[in-house]
Amino acid sequence: MATKKAETQSPQKSELKPQNTNGAKSASVSAQTATAANGNNSTPPIGKNPYGIPDWRLEQLPFHIESDWADGEYRYKVVGDTTVPAPPLRPSKYLTKEKTIEIYRYMLINRRMEESLERLYKQSKVIGGLYLSLGQEACSVASAYALGQDDWLAPMIRNQGSMVVKGFRPRDTMMQYMAKGGSPTHGRESGSHYGDHKKLNVVAPISHLGDSISVVAGVALGARLQGKNIACLAFIGDGGQSTGPTYEGFNFAAVQKLGVVLIVEHNLWAYSTPVELQFACKDLADRSIGYGVPGVIIDGTDANQVYDATHEAVQRAYRGEGASFIEAKLMRMKGHAMHDPAVYVPVEVKEYWKRRDPILRMEKYLLEREWATQKQIDAIQSEVEKYMDEERTYAEESPMPDASEVGKDVYCDNAVEIGLKYGPVKVHNANESRKLTESSAPGHYK
Amino acid sequence: MAPVTYLEAIRQGLWEEMERDSSVLVMGEDVGVYGGAFKVTEGFVHRFGTERVVDTPISEMAITSAVYGASLTGLRPVGEFQFMDFISSAHSQIVQVLAKSNYRWGAPAPLVLRGPSGGGVSGGPFHSQNPEMFYVHTPGLKVIAPATARDAKGLIKAAIRDNNPVLFFEHKFLYRRVKEELPEEDYIVEIGKARLDREGKDLSVITYGAMLYVAQEAAEILAKEGIQIEIVDLRTLLPLDNEAIRKTVEKTNRVIILHEDTKTGGLAGEIAAIINEEAFDSLDAPIVRITSMDAPVPFSPPLEKAFLPKVEDVVREARRLIKY
Repeated sequence: MATKKAETQSPQKSELKPQNTNGAKSASVSAQTATAANGNNSTPPIGKNPYGIPDWRLEQLPFHIESDWADGEYRYKVVGDTTVPAPPLRPSKYLTKEKTIEIYRYMLINRRMEESLERLYKQSKVIGGLYLSLGQEACSVASAYALGQDDWLAPMIRNQGSMVVKGFRPRDTMMQYMAKGGSPTHGRESGSHYGDHKKLNVVAPISHLGDSISVVAGVALGARLQGKNIACLAFIGDGGQSTGPTYEGFNFAAVQKLGVVLIVEHNLWAYSTPVELQFACKDLADRSIGYGVPGVIIDGTDANQVYDATHEAVQRAYRGEGASFIEAKLMRMKGHAMHDPAVYVPVEVKEYWKRRDPILRMEKYLLEREWATQKQIDAIQSEVEKYMDEERTYAEESPMPDASEVGKDVYCDNAVEIGLKYGPVKVHNANESRKLTESSAPGHYK
Repeated sequence: MAPVTYLEAIRQGLWEEMERDSSVLVMGEDVGVYGGAFKVTEGFVHRFGTERVVDTPISEMAITSAVYGASLTGLRPVGEFQFMDFISSAHSQIVQVLAKSNYRWGAPAPLVLRGPSGGGVSGGPFHSQNPEMFYVHTPGLKVIAPATARDAKGLIKAAIRDNNPVLFFEHKFLYRRVKEELPEEDYIVEIGKARLDREGKDLSVITYGAMLYVAQEAAEILAKEGIQIEIVDLRTLLPLDNEAIRKTVEKTNRVIILHEDTKTGGLAGEIAAIINEEAFDSLDAPIVRITSMDAPVPFSPPLEKAFLPKVEDVVREARRLIKY
């Protein structure tokens, strides 16, 4: 049914299709690409959007989605050109060859982990839903890579790659999805809903969108009170940023000058709803002006842009200058969860983004810069595949939780010692000689 | 020692904990220079500084989550709701983020969320509510509602020292109306323990918050008729002191449950179920609930007076139960 509609609706369709099928590998390198790659570190200039927000991308999205009636059915259609080839990566200002290759490896781990999970899902070994991040690996990985050990991460459900960068293992996410007793939450929670407040500094995501932003604002406030300016990387989607908690949380971080780095993953679809039905502005980074924090627009499928923008925001956090807003434009290449084949997304949109596969683009960048040979890339891939097999085997062998464990740890025992994470409290402006005196002022009601 | 009001008792408790432990801080709307809408934190900013007395935007959900985030770094923050009515704006954060934290991912949340609740001051529908039951129904939280100055101080200190998210419902009608002498030494009141406020053998009134004083007045009137009322002040609503409930029912065999919150889904229903499960054989009369009516809290004094439980309601029902 979808093909029939597509054929009748778009006269361009027949022209588009042959070009689209080849994907990124056959996309010709544009003039701009060649200059950037050959000139090694010659970086293309940074543009600005109509509100003066820096836009680091090497291309603008050349189409948008409109709703339409066709053949008696209501559906989404593409307006604009989807045939444009992918640009190269913007060379990083900060990443060395070694770091770039490490980011590439993490992106591969991210993808192979999710491919393993997809197979486990099809084998009915995954309990409940499975949420994948195909096409978003650069955004998850390269951003978290810019964090230090003391920094915090507040991922969303798809940022499973960022959790690996922060120190969790693929087996952790796999055991979570299989509801195993050995999973970080011992079977109490699902999927990427886990974290670690002691060592890895990752807030367990919750399903309510935007709630983690003010949580990490509080974490940054707590660290600052203990004499340390940390960075807290929080993710939100284009859909999630429509919620009230997003506004309250990020405004709180902005006004308190807390080092919250908010990455808005503008992945074009909120479950099945296109962004055109989520907000009226074109660039979500426009909102940074209203928050009073620096904002930037980046290509979320370009790991270099993701790393550089996050790195600069993290350094700003360390300097105590406050929060930053990064809008990463990218595409959720799978449905909301495995049950959802995302038929609402027009085919040509998927084809456009397939050419912007973050991993293929990074491979190309490594090869063109002569930072890796095909042989080295192949070796990394085999190593990651072997690693993933071991992780999957471990996860599959983990036992299911014992039913007698239910109801444990609803409360924390008061015998547990909770220590300060970053050191003693340091206050700069207290008057210790002051004594408590009886309140004399009138209260709100008698 | 001069008697201390309920309000001053809370102020003392907070102040002493902040002096004792530098990991304690307060956050909320207007808590700094202004000292809070009810002056609970008056003067705190001068003693402890702006880093430990944090004025926030009008953002209850952000205050709640930020308090929680700070607790993840080992601090013991106290968040203030200007009125407990506004706790509804932070409902999702409390029941989803805070309450489930230790269970979901082993992250304890040693924090307190406090503020004034309750009616009797013509505050109208949004400044008079008793929203405690939404949270009594949420595993992972502790819920406290002190009725006396001594308990308010001892419990706020215990709440701050507790490793779990504690919701602390102060009663604004009591702030400057009740006072008593407090112990000079540092003391806490254990969370989860009810207090026998008055001993009697004929009928128990189980209550909490400002209704304690309604029960006391009724008990004085009934005493003149030879009816000896026992009063149990719950103090902590979650976890409930089931043993104290069972004991008083076993002793008097007749029970009135009295609270200012509305009837349907109120704590009285839960207590009645506990009595049914644990002390059914001790009952000589039906369990009676005296509560506010199932309506929003009205503004105008004659309406609010009609809405709230009254001394005569307790006296009337007690007489009826004694004859049953």
